Amino acid sequence: DKDCLKIWESLKHAFIYKNPCNMTSEDYQPLMELASHPIPCNKSLFWSKTNDLVHRYTKSNQNFLTLEDTLLGYMADRISWCGDPSAPGINYESCPKRSECESNPGSVFWRMASKMFAEAACGVVQVMLNGSVEAGAFRNSSIFGSIEIFNLNPDKVSAVHIWVMHDIGGPQSESCSGHSIRRLKSILEERNFKITCEDNYRPVQLLQCVHNPDHTDCRLCTNTT
Amino acid sequence: KWKGEGTTQNLESIVIGRCYDYIRIVNPAVGEKNCSELWEAFKNAFINKDPCSILPNDYELFINLSLHTIPPNKSLFWENNHLLVNSFADRGRRYMSLADTLFGSFGDFLNWCGQADSTGLDYESCPTTEECENNAVESFWRMASATYAQHSSGVIHVLLNGSAAGGAYPDPGFFADYEIPNLQKDKITQIVIWVVDDIEGPDIESCGTHTVKILEDRLKTLGYDVTCADNYKSVMFLLCLD
Repeated sequence: DKDCLKIWESLKHAFIYKNPCNMTSEDYQPLMELASHPIPCNKSLFWSKTNDLVHRYTKSNQNFLTLEDTLLGYMADRISWCGDPSAPGINYESCPKRSECESNPGSVFWRMASKMFAEAACGVVQVMLNGSVEAGAFRNSSIFGSIEIFNLNPDKVSAVHIWVMHDIGGPQSESCSGHSIRRLKSILEERNFKITCEDNYRPVQLLQCVHNPDHTDCRLCTNTT
Repeated sequence: KWKGEGTTQNLESIVIGRCYDYIRIVNPAVGEKNCSELWEAFKNAFINKDPCSILPNDYELFINLSLHTIPPNKSLFWENNHLLVNSFADRGRRYMSLADTLFGSFGDFLNWCGQADSTGLDYESCPTTEECENNAVESFWRMASATYAQHSSGVIHVLLNGSAAGGAYPDPGFFADYEIPNLQKDKITQIVIWVVDDIEGPDIESCGTHTVKILEDRLKTLGYDVTCADNYKSVMFLLCLD
C-alpha cells in the first residue's frame, strides 16, 4: 500500500526552491524509497529509441514492464518539473535542458530511476532496440548503454534477450549481426550474462503491422509453421 | 446492502488527476478546463440522492463543462471488446473512443454511487443495473454515450465481437439504444462496421448474418451509407499479440 500524498510531497521536496542545475541523486532518495516496488522476474523490458513502440507493446501485453510501467516511472512520464530559489520555488515558465546543465531535475531523476529499475531486475530481461536509426541500435551514451546494462545484477539476472526492431518499410540500418549489437553482446558477455538476439521479434512486429496491414512484412502466413 | 462493488477508493483524486492529465498531456487541444469544478458537477449528479434514482440528465452540467469537439472520422463505437478498443484507439491518437474523450475518461474502469440523506460516497456497495437501472454509473454511461454519438462526424467506425455469445450487435445495448438514436445524420458520411472474432474463438457472426444484418439493415433504413468487413486486418494483428 502506497501513500500517494506522501509520495508527492517527497517529489516536491526533492526540487522545490533548489537551483535546478545542482540536483543530486540524494535529493531523490526519499522518493525512490517510498515509491519503489518489486518487479516480478522475467518481466523487465528495457528500451532505447523505441519509446512509442515499446509502450504500445506493454499496454497490450501485460507480460512485460518498462520503467514507465512501474509506479515511479508511470507518475513521472511525460511531465517535467524544476525548482527555483525564489518564491514560489517551482518554475512553471521554463526548465533547463540537458544541454544547459546535466544535473537538472529531470535528467537526474531518470538516471536514478533507471539505475534502480535495472538493479531490481531478475531472471530473463528483454531490451527493445531500434535497428532503423542511423546512429546505431545500441549507443554507449544512451541511458540503456551507460546506466542500465551496468546495473543489472549477474546474481539475479540470468539472460538478456535483445530485440532489434526495424520500422515497417524503414531502413534496416542494423540487425543482430550489426556492429553496435556485437559491442553490446561483448559488454554483456563480460559480465557473464547469457545473450540471445532476435531481429523483428514477431509479437512486436505484429503491433507495427496494425498501422501497416498491407505491407509485405505484414502478410499473414498462409501455411502453418 | 447492494450486490455491486462499492465506490472506487480515492475516486475524487483519481478523477481530478485524470482531468488534469487529459487537459495538460493527453489532449491539450481541448483548452482550459476547471477540473475541480468538473468534479463537483460530476459528484452533484449522484450524491445525497437515492442511488436508484439517478437519471442521465443529472449529469448535464458535468457534460456541458467537459464537452469538447471530437475530430471528424475518429469516432470508434464498440460492443463486447473494451480492452481491444482501448488498445486499437491508442489513447486517442488513432481513434477517439468514448474513453478517450475528457467526459468519457472520467468514468472508465471506475465505480461510484452515493446514498440518500448523506453527502458521502458509498464505498461498501453500489446497486447493479439488475437491481435498479437508474443508478449513478449506468446513467453516466447513457448520458456520455448519447453525447459522444451526438458529437461524432465524418466516417464513423463500429467494432463488434463476432465471437460474443449474445450476438455481435446486442439489442438492448448502449450502441443500439443510446448511440445510434443520437447520431447526427447530416454530419455523418459513412458508417464502417468491423466484425472481429476472438483468436481461436468461435466465428458466431459475420457481416450480413444474424444481429450484424439487423444492424446493417437498421442503419441503411435510417439512410446511412454502410459498409462492413470481417476480421479487419489491423485489428487482427492486435488480437494476435497475446
